[in-house]
Amino acid sequence: MSVLAILLLAPLVSALLIFLINILFPYAKQYLYTFFALMGSGVSGLLALYVGYYSYFEKEVFISHLFTWLSIGNFSIEVALKADALGSFMLLFVAPVSFLIHIYATGYMDKDKSYGRFFAYFNLFIFFMFLLVLADNPIIMFIGWEGVGLTSYALIGFYFKDIQNTYAGNKAFIVNRIGDFGFLSALMLLFLEIPSGGFSFSNIFLNLAQMEPSSLTLIAFLLFVGAMGKSAQIPLFVWLPDAMAGPTPVSALIHAATMVTAGVYMVARFAPLYNMTPEISLIISYVGALSALLAALIATRQYDIKKILAYSTMSQLGFMFMALGAGAYSTALFHMFTHAFFKALLFMAAGAIIVAYHHKQDIRELRGIQLPKIFKMMAIASLTIVAIPPFSAFFSKDAIMGALFVNGHVGIFMMAFVTSMLTAYYMSRMMFVLFFSKSKQEAMESPKSMLFPMMLLAILSVFAGFLNFPEVFGGNMHISHWLGLPDRAVLIPHAKELALMGINTFFVLLVIYNAYRKYAYTETIVTQHNDGLVANKFYIDALYQRFIVAPIAIISHFFEKWVSQFLIDNAINWSAFGYFKLGEIVAKAENGNVRLYALYMLFGVVFGFVYLYWSLRGAL
Amino acid sequence: MSNTFIALAVPALLLSSAIFILLFGLSSYYTKNRGYFITLATLFVSFIFASLGIGTKFSMEILPQIFNSMVVYDTFAATFISLFLLGGFLTLAIAKSFVDKTDFFTHESFVLLLFSLFGMVVLTMANELLTAFIALEIASMSVYILVGLNRNSLKASEAFFKYLLLGSFSASFYLLGMMLIYAQAKSTNLDAIAEYILHTELHSQLLILAGSMLIMITIMFKIAAVPFGAWVLDVYEGASLPITAYMAGVFKIAIFAFTLRVFLQDYITFDSVYDPLIIGGAVVTMAVGSLLAVIQTSVKKMLAASSVVHSGYILIAFASIGEATASAASAIIFYLFAYFISAIGAFGVLSYISKGSDKLIQYEDLNGLAKTRPIIAASLTIFMLSFAGFPSTIGFIGKFYILTSAIEAGYTALAFFGAITAFISIYYYFKVIAHLYFKEAEHVEVHYGYKVSLAFIVISALVVLWGGVGTSLLFDIPGINELNAISKYAVESLGL
Repeated sequence: MSVLAILLLAPLVSALLIFLINILFPYAKQYLYTFFALMGSGVSGLLALYVGYYSYFEKEVFISHLFTWLSIGNFSIEVALKADALGSFMLLFVAPVSFLIHIYATGYMDKDKSYGRFFAYFNLFIFFMFLLVLADNPIIMFIGWEGVGLTSYALIGFYFKDIQNTYAGNKAFIVNRIGDFGFLSALMLLFLEIPSGGFSFSNIFLNLAQMEPSSLTLIAFLLFVGAMGKSAQIPLFVWLPDAMAGPTPVSALIHAATMVTAGVYMVARFAPLYNMTPEISLIISYVGALSALLAALIATRQYDIKKILAYSTMSQLGFMFMALGAGAYSTALFHMFTHAFFKALLFMAAGAIIVAYHHKQDIRELRGIQLPKIFKMMAIASLTIVAIPPFSAFFSKDAIMGALFVNGHVGIFMMAFVTSMLTAYYMSRMMFVLFFSKSKQEAMESPKSMLFPMMLLAILSVFAGFLNFPEVFGGNMHISHWLGLPDRAVLIPHAKELALMGINTFFVLLVIYNAYRKYAYTETIVTQHNDGLVANKFYIDALYQRFIVAPIAIISHFFEKWVSQFLIDNAINWSAFGYFKLGEIVAKAENGNVRLYALYMLFGVVFGFVYLYWSLRGAL
Repeated sequence: MSNTFIALAVPALLLSSAIFILLFGLSSYYTKNRGYFITLATLFVSFIFASLGIGTKFSMEILPQIFNSMVVYDTFAATFISLFLLGGFLTLAIAKSFVDKTDFFTHESFVLLLFSLFGMVVLTMANELLTAFIALEIASMSVYILVGLNRNSLKASEAFFKYLLLGSFSASFYLLGMMLIYAQAKSTNLDAIAEYILHTELHSQLLILAGSMLIMITIMFKIAAVPFGAWVLDVYEGASLPITAYMAGVFKIAIFAFTLRVFLQDYITFDSVYDPLIIGGAVVTMAVGSLLAVIQTSVKKMLAASSVVHSGYILIAFASIGEATASAASAIIFYLFAYFISAIGAFGVLSYISKGSDKLIQYEDLNGLAKTRPIIAASLTIFMLSFAGFPSTIGFIGKFYILTSAIEAGYTALAFFGAITAFISIYYYFKVIAHLYFKEAEHVEVHYGYKVSLAFIVISALVVLWGGVGTSLLFDIPGINELNAISKYAVESLGL
């Protein structure tokens, strides 16, 4: 078996084993689950590093053909895995981060009574994530896409005894269905458009030029609808904050580092398509910018520590989409790369706080917590996300700003700029409220299994940026060259780039100082009024409820009552009834009388010969 | 081992083993268990022999200086022989509890089983009408007696007489048809007849046309196509469950093997004449079969009626054989395998839970089985899904091939009709599943014992699933593609 097959199947096998143990031996020891969970994700993590190494240094493309799924005429769909530069790059952070979060989760979920079930889902999730990343054609990618959605659903509603968690899971799943509908429709259109050959990405891109431009635009748009759902962009973002109902490792892995980036990955994968449809790219940029701004605004008035991070995830994803829309694909992916580290770290730190303070999540109740190690790491992550040099996100976010600046859409650039100021604001608000307070709350430090992965991620958050060191500082953009994506963005002049960096950093520092004045060692967070448009998340949930969910419910009720129950059910019941009656009539002929049976045979013979006579009568 | 050796060894083994048991049964060393295992071993060994011929293309006449090309052994024969020998083996293996618990299953029963299989083997190899007739009668006679095995049961005796009477009646058509063909073609050898047909105008071979039609009537009788198959409900009801499984799954395969050979070699030239008849037959068979199946209250009779519907599906493929020869013929072989493995499993489950008694199992008797015996219920569910042609079971693939061959041949309406009957069949098959899982029962815990029977039931269920989804992704076990390839080879060997 090839490397990729093992990488893909290791988590699946361990997930199945854990499921089996969980079902067959309800009193199995916890370390058994730990062993299999870490085995599955560990093997994949190591192999991902191997694949990344050879892809980066040897320019090797890994291909593994598993089997032919179906072949009709000259059209075939292969179940094949392929790790080109883009795929290897994705693996390079998805697999190791998954492994680290697995380690963290063994600490976080310790002594949970559903420990086994959790890791079965968790391993199953990374299996589907790898399938999504490694797929050589959009159909296999779609299987992975649906699979991560399914496991995400299972993990959000993990503590299903509380019905609210189940509702949150439902919401995530249903909102994602809208996106999936877009993705699926795009695939069907592609299926119609593609002239011949296979459905692999390379074959699709080869045939792009021969396709109808108008349908290409539609395909590009529908694919982006899919991305909107999975990557929580306007208008399909409402599920992400609710998804924080799941255990914190889930939020760290699925709703921050990996799954939500699937939309970004997919758009980057279809880069040749988006290069041919500039109007869709512009839409992507605007949707990204608006999402980033909206999420950042909402985050400034949230109190739940995980929700703040959720909105910040959405906002950062918005940045990535802005870059994608501007045609700076590798820049977007680079930000995704750094984001995976610092956002996973932030969530893990939040999880550590939540565990230490007995599942309190409200920052007003967590004021003045005393966790020095967690503080250090959370501070690193926060400085990274607000893009302070030389932390990694400084380079990635700066590259995005540069690309937007060159692209020339002033509105988008301004929104991005405001968003990054707001990011600085809400992050420092959270940090200052949590750690800089007159009141003091003591607690136990987290176990090593939780601290160790966080330290590693903290190191990565600091240094990952140097991998794509910009040319202005004498770097040579290793990652962008490696990825080799068809970037459209024109390079920004160095002088302007430096100026941009300077202005950005200056304003960010200013905002942080302001936040310090406002929130550190004060009672502002408690006294502040808590209503208005922003605090109520722009009433978007209510609007959706009123204008989308309610009318659809009315239509559904109508169909349920008149079409389904009255029309269809009656039609089926009556025809079944008629068929049954007919059967009883036929059964009268089948009455056990052997003379009659012989007579039927005779009828058959006579009929046959009459037919023969009739059809051959010309010859007689 | 040369093919000649295998071709002679398989029938010889069956025959000698039958004679051995016949004599051995009189000695004081004989116990039912010994007879059972000797038969099982014979079937297994001969299955292994026959299966050596699968997958390589060959065709040869057996000892032409003695048999004068009356019998041939080719991949086609090897495939079919392995199919029904495996079927006989599985039937008997699952029927262990039945064999042990009934007193009417004496040593002669094993002998009859082996004799009938011997007849089928020769029937499959027959390349000549008279040989085929004798072989068919050897097989049929044994099956007649097997039906009436339980002399104390009025139902069984009634079934036996009905089957015998109508069977003899239908056999007379075969003889008449053979005579007519001989009168014109001056030969009963299939190759010679084919030669004659090729070199003569259609309109000057009326005797052959009429004779072929008479032979077809006998075949229609054996596969219980409407209107010749009125016996099927009574006979299947009267016969013991393993025997019913044997008739529905195994005997039918041999009949179809001969039919397919005759069709592909001779009838194919008359395709345009016979097609409307076969299509009509297929439609009536499917319609009447499903009408009868819908109203049954006993599971066994429902399966009997539904076996008529499955014959109808195979007739669809026969109708398409002229236009889409390769795909239709291999679809038939695939479907036969799909049907027999599910039928043997389903009847096996019924036999297993009726514990050897001749009690008719009603739908109500299955209530709550899923709670008390989950494995049996799951297996029965798999068999029902396969019968109904549910995706991811082998039955789905079988129907898929049949319907695609019909569409390829241009009979889209016929394929559509087949799909509709399949849709209706969901009613009576899912009724079983509904009773298994969704009806409460006052069921008491019953111990069935007989792990062997259960094991083979489960194996059959796994084969049904594997045949539906099988790939060689992880392990190299033959799946759909291999089965399909085997059927294609078998068909191609006829042309050699």
